[in-house]
Amino acid sequence: MPTQSLSRASQRTDFCRIRPAVALGIVSALLASCATKTREVRVYSGRHYSSDQALYQQFEQATGIKVRLLESKDSSILQRLQREGKNSSADVLILVDAARLANASQAGLFQPIRSDALIRDVPVELRDPNGLWFGLTRRVRAMAINPEVVQPGLVTTYADLAKPDLQGKLCLRNRSNVYNQSLVADQMILRGDAATGQWVKGMVSNLRQPVFTSDVSLARAVAKGTCGIGVVNSYYVARMLAGQTGSADKSLASKIEVKYPDPAHVNVSGAGVTRHAKNKNEAIQLIEYLTSPSAAEGFARGSLEYPLKGFGNQPILRQFGDFRSDGVSAAQLGRKNKEAVALMAANGWK
Amino acid sequence: MGGFLAGRGSLGLVALAISILALVPLLALGADALLGRGETTPVLGADGLDQIRGTLLLVLGEGILGAVLGTATGWLTAVCRFPGRRLLRIGQLIPLAIPSYLQAASLIDWGSHQGLRIHGLGWAIAVLTLANYSYVFLLSTESFSVSGRRLLEASRSLGVGPWASFWRVALPIALPAIGAGVALSAMEVVNELGAVRLLGVPSLSAGILDLWQVQGDARGAAVLSLIALVIVGALIASERQLRSRSRRWNLGGAAGSDHVWPLQGWRATAAQMCTALAPLTALAIPTLWLQQGWEGLSSESWDDLWPLASRSLSLALVASVITCAGALLLAVCHRWSHQVLVKHMSFVAGLGYAIPGSVLALGLMVFGSPIMLSPLLLLVWGYGDRFMAVSKQGFDAALERIPPSIDETAASLGSDWLEVLRRIHLPLLSGPLLMGFLLVFVDVIKELPITLALRPFDFDTLAVRVFQYASDERVGAAMGPAILIIIFGLMAAFALIPSLERRS
Repeated sequence: MPTQSLSRASQRTDFCRIRPAVALGIVSALLASCATKTREVRVYSGRHYSSDQALYQQFEQATGIKVRLLESKDSSILQRLQREGKNSSADVLILVDAARLANASQAGLFQPIRSDALIRDVPVELRDPNGLWFGLTRRVRAMAINPEVVQPGLVTTYADLAKPDLQGKLCLRNRSNVYNQSLVADQMILRGDAATGQWVKGMVSNLRQPVFTSDVSLARAVAKGTCGIGVVNSYYVARMLAGQTGSADKSLASKIEVKYPDPAHVNVSGAGVTRHAKNKNEAIQLIEYLTSPSAAEGFARGSLEYPLKGFGNQPILRQFGDFRSDGVSAAQLGRKNKEAVALMAANGWK
Repeated sequence: MGGFLAGRGSLGLVALAISILALVPLLALGADALLGRGETTPVLGADGLDQIRGTLLLVLGEGILGAVLGTATGWLTAVCRFPGRRLLRIGQLIPLAIPSYLQAASLIDWGSHQGLRIHGLGWAIAVLTLANYSYVFLLSTESFSVSGRRLLEASRSLGVGPWASFWRVALPIALPAIGAGVALSAMEVVNELGAVRLLGVPSLSAGILDLWQVQGDARGAAVLSLIALVIVGALIASERQLRSRSRRWNLGGAAGSDHVWPLQGWRATAAQMCTALAPLTALAIPTLWLQQGWEGLSSESWDDLWPLASRSLSLALVASVITCAGALLLAVCHRWSHQVLVKHMSFVAGLGYAIPGSVLALGLMVFGSPIMLSPLLLLVWGYGDRFMAVSKQGFDAALERIPPSIDETAASLGSDWLEVLRRIHLPLLSGPLLMGFLLVFVDVIKELPITLALRPFDFDTLAVRVFQYASDERVGAAMGPAILIIIFGLMAAFALIPSLERRS
């Protein structure tokens, strides 16, 4: 017993000796990380594609301005920026989905920007009327169809998704998915609340199985014929086709026919300068760079979204065909978001 | 100074300070709910009821399955002898090393390739049981090997068989430990977010976050949080009830003797299957998933793996040291202090474990961001708050096995609490201390929501990167960091082996 406690005592002293060394190491590492000071721009981003990072690096090389990045979930970033208030060190806020951009504008997180380059490069319906935020890429809510189960000719508009012919063949992602919320907001603006409510109810009664939690698993279920038709953002299928998610997905995706409803609901990812930006000039420079025709193409290319203008020149996207936007602006979608979520809940969209 | 520090009053002050630190984010959220925006009279809609039901069913399902699996594996590997026992005993720690969101995501991804739909309550209970039963195993097996060996021996010599010994002697003695394990795992379930959301089960934690963060309804969220707290309070209370009803004191090593039941034939096979099931499943799920990513592996860059790993490791190290120190002080205070208030405070300090990480992160943001507290400080604070209970439960259970007469003797011989802690408790607690440290370490390495919300610029960790790649469906890119998380988890889990083995 005494020898045992002796050895334990010596273990303890070893532990005590190690501790200050560890603490010192960590403190010096922290100090080193904040010692250097160069021109920089700090970005809060809700996008998380590694192709984005390649573009930030190109920007660094072109301008010598260092991009410091914090990627997280949109809602969490919004909260953080709001709580940090004027002490926030973020200069640029990047979000996906029109509703979130509009929410951020409403919460006063952006400051208005005047830039001829931005007005030239970003089409008017893809930016905030007051210059609070500017679109970076476009994404389309498309139909993914398995032609062996559903006649592609059967659906040409979003409204057709509620047709009784699709009974037991339709698959949807859940209500909390913001792309679906914006789609419903879009339909409310175009067709009114009552018709949209009926439409949601019709789709819910057509469901093959309970709602999905991701676009990719939904696309796979369509490819396998479990679902005849599903609603997804087209870039998910494009990425599967490009082999970005593995060869199994590549052959699966070849069984899917992507069809754009006419007219189509177009959503955006966008960026703005934060209200309390410490590096405003660098922030504007970054957004101008990201929306410039060459870079915007690059931003969209890696993630297989659509650039701000035209349809890009990527073979996979060309194969989906072109789309015609229904003209609802991102700002309108944002204002309607809350009502859309309530309408979805009231009509049984889980 | 020494005199002041040594007094019991100072111990109470220290515990009070720790408890207040733990409570700050919760109070901040409470204030936010009272003063903030939101419906004037919050109503629980159909969604709210669904979420309460979902969480209750998850807790019930996981609690029962986890208790059975954890107790069975704990008993078999502690007291029985069969081929491969040592390996399988260690193997019970494997599931701890793999984050539940990774398990759920890989399972769903793999299933969608196979045309198998992995969705809903049943799957969620299965995944959560797999991820959390090890808490029950760790605490129960420790109790089976340490406590009541003499009683077991006596019962054996009186002709009681293995099954009867288990039901009538070992199980009642181990109940506090099993109860503590179940309570820990159930709290983990209440605050679980990632896996449950991926599997499409409505839950309180998701409801709280959606209301607060997405819909900006702070009051509605506060009501749901209160309900979650009531569930957790009930869990803790029932665990304490169990513990007080079967309180036994036992001096660890003194009773040790080689008293075991050898198993042969089909009994040995059954024991092997029972103990191998969970570890093999836990390893198989991510392996199936990773196997789909091999082809994409070569094209990925591995450059930033080291910075990612070093951030994860240093965060985990700092957070575990701070958390264990705090938990130890609270546990000792709970033992020494006769003030009801202090006892309650130490109870309240463990509540952080019951709160979803993302909600805790929100509380820290509400409090810390406006006054410009460093994000790193907030991050470590969050970890400490969140995982205090993980180590404290173990310390409490271990302290209860040390007869109070020892403290009293020491005190009557003139030792103050610091000296008793140093010369008696710490040596006797070295096993639980190591266990507490490693559990927190593994938890921080795996932790996602707090890290995602509070980290500074350019400070991605392994878990953050896995989440980002996996939600982008880029399995190949997620592989490197995912494998590292598993390896670190396994290393920490295996560091527990000496403390497990010494007891058996």
